[in-house]
Amino acid sequence: MKTLGALSRALKNISRRKIRTLLVVVALGFSIAIMVSIPAGIMANQEFMQRITENFAKTITTMQEEINKTATLIECSTTPNRGMQTLRPGGFFGGFSQTFVDETIVDEIRSIEGVKNVIPFLEKSSSENISETINTPWGSRTVYRPAYTIIGVCLNATIIANYPILPTNITAGENLSEGDSGFILISSNLTSYFGANVGDAVEINGERFVVKGIFESSSQQRTIYMNISDAQRVTGLAGKISRLYVYVSDASLATQVADVIKTMYPELYVTSYQDRLANLQHMQEMYTQTLSNAESSIAQAQATATHIIIIAVAAAALIVFFVMLYSVRERTREIGILKAIGFSNWNVMSQFMIEGMLIGLIGGVAGILIGSIAAPFFSSFLLPQLNLFGGTQRLQRPFQTQYPGIIGTQSYSTVVLTPQFILLALCAAAVLGALGSLYPAWRASRISPIEALRYE
Amino acid sequence: MSELVLETEKLDKIYKLGGRIIRALSNINLKVEKGDFVSIMGPSGSGKTTLLNVLGCLDRPTSGKVILDGVDVTALPEKELYKIRRYKVGFVFQTFNLLPYLSALENVELPMEGTGKSKREMRERARELLKLVGLAEREDHKPFRLSAGEQQRVAIARALANNPSIVLADEPTGNLDAKTKYEIVRLLGKLNAEQGTTIVMVTHDGAVASHARRVLFLSDGKLLAKEKMGLLAKEKLVCPACGREVQADHAFCPHCGRKL
Repeated sequence: MKTLGALSRALKNISRRKIRTLLVVVALGFSIAIMVSIPAGIMANQEFMQRITENFAKTITTMQEEINKTATLIECSTTPNRGMQTLRPGGFFGGFSQTFVDETIVDEIRSIEGVKNVIPFLEKSSSENISETINTPWGSRTVYRPAYTIIGVCLNATIIANYPILPTNITAGENLSEGDSGFILISSNLTSYFGANVGDAVEINGERFVVKGIFESSSQQRTIYMNISDAQRVTGLAGKISRLYVYVSDASLATQVADVIKTMYPELYVTSYQDRLANLQHMQEMYTQTLSNAESSIAQAQATATHIIIIAVAAAALIVFFVMLYSVRERTREIGILKAIGFSNWNVMSQFMIEGMLIGLIGGVAGILIGSIAAPFFSSFLLPQLNLFGGTQRLQRPFQTQYPGIIGTQSYSTVVLTPQFILLALCAAAVLGALGSLYPAWRASRISPIEALRYE
Repeated sequence: MSELVLETEKLDKIYKLGGRIIRALSNINLKVEKGDFVSIMGPSGSGKTTLLNVLGCLDRPTSGKVILDGVDVTALPEKELYKIRRYKVGFVFQTFNLLPYLSALENVELPMEGTGKSKREMRERARELLKLVGLAEREDHKPFRLSAGEQQRVAIARALANNPSIVLADEPTGNLDAKTKYEIVRLLGKLNAEQGTTIVMVTHDGAVASHARRVLFLSDGKLLAKEKMGLLAKEKLVCPACGREVQADHAFCPHCGRKL
């Protein structure tokens, strides 16, 4: 009965000083929001890193398998190789100056001993650019890139049947086939750019092509496949090519043939099976390095977090402390009355402690509300080390640009308050409220009733 | 009227104020029997409030004894005194001292907290007491919505909450206008006459003091030997106009209607 009465009086007292309560609750709310947001932020980052590590392991395995399948392939390109992109024809999306070589080298390379087949490609990015807005929680960035890239392929039935030169994931219409001229295969995200579907005509550099098929592609791939002779004509690069797939008759000859090509055509960037393996290894090393940087950043963040949490805890306790101290002073007369009508020291003390706990709890609820909205902001603002995957600083770019396949579409770590955090916050708030009001309540209990009753 | 409720023996209270020794109470020997209504009259500074605070265990005497209901409360440790204040004493203050954020009913319930009564019992008792002091209709009002006289009635009801052995009233009419102060003192008289409540009231107002059974005089911390009989002590109260019997709480004679 006593506790219930004290609780109801505490509630009445809190509610009759609305402005003060509001200020205290907001201040406490922020302290508690910081207390819960930071561990939540660290946990979210750790989980995210775990996920990336797992994805990376899978990606490496897949790449390893792909590389193993291409032991007889030597890739020659007029532009520098970018990691594993060459394993996916059309994976390039421009961004650097393009150079071309005469297609006569196809026959020259074919005549090298050990070469089984040579497949030429012509890749040319459009001169029109598109702007893309990338939204991040920190604002948006605009990037410009070519509207599309034309890839001219050698439409020969034997080559199409035996080598992976065309995309396989056709979603509408048909794939290109031998001798197709005036037809194109476009990536799915170009349909809206051209406003064209299967069977429609599209104008490229003044020439009309009919869309024969559409293939499913990643968001960054904006590619048009066409017959290499059409590509040479429409781009004005007659007799030119930009890339070659050289297949050797035996995997053991690959390095040797690659060396010959490198000597004969120093202008070409030559990548053999060994080079790809080395690339993969290099990538693995870089990734490991980045990851260990990230880990040390998180460790550093944890150390900072401990300090910030201690400050937040102290701030919360101090807020309650001063408010309750003030309240005791303000209500000295009330304490005198309570004592005069038979309240014990403990009754008076518990009255004020209940009030402190209640203020703490209300602050805790406010903290959870603030935290659930602003947790990602708090954790990354107070701990910039944590902006590994979410912010614009630090490690985010290397991760996103080097390993787009690994980070994937989930490029931001999400900081959420789990039920455990909410429960923890409420308990912490109540404990802090009780702790903060301990001394003021004790002081209240010690006040002499006579002096208290004289207090005006 | 033979059982002693309150007795003091050679009560002294000495303050030290900046090197000066102030003898607030000096050799007070007071006896209050059950059912008595004692007024202690004296000018301000005579030690009335100090005496009441010592009697009510809010303050300790420098020497001497206070025996309340057979218990020497001066020998009790500090931490036991709250029980005496809770169960044995009911305080009525000059400034009412109600908690402003509680309703009349809640103010009366307050001393009953922690006495083992259920919420319902507390509520019933508080209602009964408010009815007794004539405020049954105003139980939900907060103090600021009550007149001064009504607030003092609530305070009296609160003092009676735990059925104390004695009610100590410190200038209960000091903050009231002329009309209201007689209402309050008549209410105290009625409680004494009808409920048998033992009351010690201190006041500087002779007219108010005279409504008790006995009037004692305090001067410079000493209880004077003279004692006056109050109105309540007279066998019968009669209307001075018509000579017929009236009650202590009557403001007007029920027979002739004259103001008493």
